[in-house]
Amino acid sequence: MASASAAKTQAATAQGEQAAAKAAAASDVSVALPSRREFLYYIWGASFALIAGEITAGVLWYAFPRFAEGEFGGTFTIDPTELPEPGAAPVSKPEGRFWLSRPVIDGQDSFVALYAVCTHLGCLPKWVDVNNRFECPCHGSKFQGNGTYIEGPAPRSMDRFRATLIFTDGTTAVTNAAGDPIPLEGRTIASIQVDTGSRIQRAGKV
Amino acid sequence: MSVLPFPSFLDDVKEKGLKKAVFEGVDEVVERLTAGLNIQDVREALRGESPSRRPNPRLTPHADGFWLHMRPSYFNTEMVGIYPTFRLGWLSTYFVFFETITGIILMFWYTPSPEIAYGNMLAMLHNVPFGQFVRDLHRLGAEAMVLIVFLHMLRTFYTGSYKKPRQFTWFTGVILLILTGFLSFTGYLLPWDQLALWAVTIGASMAEATPLIGEQVNLIVRGGPEMGANGLLRFYMAHVLMLPALLFVFTGVHYYKVIIHGHSLPPQSENIGEDTAKRVPLDKRVYFIPDILTSEVMWFAVTTFVMIALCVWFYHAPLESHADPQVTPLGTTAPWYFLWIQGALKLGDKTFWGVIFPGILLGFLMVVPYIDVGPSRRFADRRIALSVSFLMLTATVVTSYMGLPEFGVATAPDQEILNELTFEPAHNHMGLLRPVPFEQLAVGAYTTRQFAAEEVDARAAVEAFNVELEETGQLATLVQNLQSSHLNIQTVNFTPVPADAAELRHVMEEFEAFIASENIELLDGWGAVIITQNQQDVKRIDVIVNWQDIVLENGRPVLDENGQPIPVVDENGNAVRRLSTKHIFINQNSAYFD
Repeated sequence: MASASAAKTQAATAQGEQAAAKAAAASDVSVALPSRREFLYYIWGASFALIAGEITAGVLWYAFPRFAEGEFGGTFTIDPTELPEPGAAPVSKPEGRFWLSRPVIDGQDSFVALYAVCTHLGCLPKWVDVNNRFECPCHGSKFQGNGTYIEGPAPRSMDRFRATLIFTDGTTAVTNAAGDPIPLEGRTIASIQVDTGSRIQRAGKV
Repeated sequence: MSVLPFPSFLDDVKEKGLKKAVFEGVDEVVERLTAGLNIQDVREALRGESPSRRPNPRLTPHADGFWLHMRPSYFNTEMVGIYPTFRLGWLSTYFVFFETITGIILMFWYTPSPEIAYGNMLAMLHNVPFGQFVRDLHRLGAEAMVLIVFLHMLRTFYTGSYKKPRQFTWFTGVILLILTGFLSFTGYLLPWDQLALWAVTIGASMAEATPLIGEQVNLIVRGGPEMGANGLLRFYMAHVLMLPALLFVFTGVHYYKVIIHGHSLPPQSENIGEDTAKRVPLDKRVYFIPDILTSEVMWFAVTTFVMIALCVWFYHAPLESHADPQVTPLGTTAPWYFLWIQGALKLGDKTFWGVIFPGILLGFLMVVPYIDVGPSRRFADRRIALSVSFLMLTATVVTSYMGLPEFGVATAPDQEILNELTFEPAHNHMGLLRPVPFEQLAVGAYTTRQFAAEEVDARAAVEAFNVELEETGQLATLVQNLQSSHLNIQTVNFTPVPADAAELRHVMEEFEAFIASENIELLDGWGAVIITQNQQDVKRIDVIVNWQDIVLENGRPVLDENGQPIPVVDENGNAVRRLSTKHIFINQNSAYFD
């Protein structure tokens, strides 16, 4: 009995030693810290990755289009005499791809600069005087003078550009984040700036 | 003896005689050019005999020569037939070179500028010998390449050839598939015609849907907020420089992997993970020289012949009218191999279906061999993988169908009819009014009402129509509308179509049929064609559709209990009428009448 148990213990000890030796061998490989030379190579490699990133960013910056004032993508300064009468047909500014619209909303004279491209597939809606609305020649989407969706496959109302109005009394007004028409509140416009680089999408058919 | 430190050719002549010396000189040149085969070796190979000297000289070009160093010196006899490869990988490579060569030839006559590019196309059609032919070859080759690369992927999938150890080969193959798609897509824009501009505008607008940086991606790709000179130049550079460079690099990686792992044998002849490349039994070797080489020459000849025959007799690259950023053709679609994305886009959110969904799909394709690690290539053991592939194929077909303009793009019927009568030539069709002979386009105003009631005498019907327009005030609205589109008229007086204008009469009958077929949405509708002439050779045609407005909901007419549409009435209870117009100009010398 005793000898048998002793043999068992011996075997167990031998197994334990083997496992310990294995673990030691494994740790020899995995724990070794990088030497100074190896570490410097890593740093060098990282600096290559950094410069590659910088060059990529530089190339993208280089390739990014820039817009001059009065060119589509840049800012347009509009003389207020070009504006339509309140509630009259919008006026097209083809060089900036937008319409100057002066809708009367709840009796309030207001102003909005509408992007000329249909929100459906990129055609150009025409203003149809007799029907008093924008009509897209491609798939028949229709929009009110203030850009609001009426019918057709377009997913949302017409997009609009951020406009800054400067009034003769010194106050200013900027298109809000939702792109609502700016109420004029009886003030006289001295100057209009339309930023065609800043397009606002309506949150649906509103 | 020669003055040179080694024997010269003259010494050879003196020693061996002229004939033998010349032969030995030529023999040596041939051996150097072929990197190891002398004339005798070449002739033995061509006669189909075994090499008469050892070591086998037919292996030397693979070991010492540049051109064959990347080709294996022998193939396994089990993969040299049509099955299992269908030569699809070879054909893909063929088209890489075919497109490069025809593309370089096209570059002689092409300038990537919106002012010049379309003129280049016309010049190539009419003034450059073989101009149209080379363009046909390049265009057909591009479409064939997309198809063949796709089929190559399908074949690799169904024979299970992407499994261990060829996972990475498949991965680079998916990159090549994507590059092929982008190459074809960037090339689509270059002719700068309506088809090019609008297909690419729709395709590129998917970049806009990238989350967070969509607008920036769009600006970088197009070089501006819309497709213009910068966009054309950028697409051109991508098409001729960046993408081909990447394509060559990845083709190299792909083929290298194919060779080091050996061509995948039919599923029953090869176990997963077995190195069949280096252990081809002697009795199963088919040597590259001469068997594979001559077979490839034959394939080259047949494929080139097919391409030439197709382009001479059956296929011509399409060219529509000059790109016009102001006019979108009705029914614009992306190129056919992108229809699946366009169809998916109709399912809803642009960001999800336009960017995330294709991204996930292609990402999934890339990692397929790392997910499907099953060790068997037999169909019976691959039920899940095969089912998923059939599901994806079905989805591709369905979404491609959904990408067609017929699906889910509701067009107002008045616009559809106006387009049907006036559209510019596209896909070998054109608006009905365009081919009417110039002399039959008699100046005057004609109405479909003439044909609406056949039992009444035509003149009386038109007269009654004139009176009705006058009394209901529609005439004033019509004249106002025509004046606003710069037609210089004061009034309109409709007359019956002249008896000698049979083709115009036929168009008017079709026009009436169109309106009658839309009798719900175009309630009580009539159409008119007004032809005017202010210049000697040019006539202006105004087409008008007029109908009674009805109540619509989500673009569909609301019907009452009798199935009739509900008319819209104004505050006085009068019916509201709507009208749409469109005009085109026809030149006497136009090619439509040919």
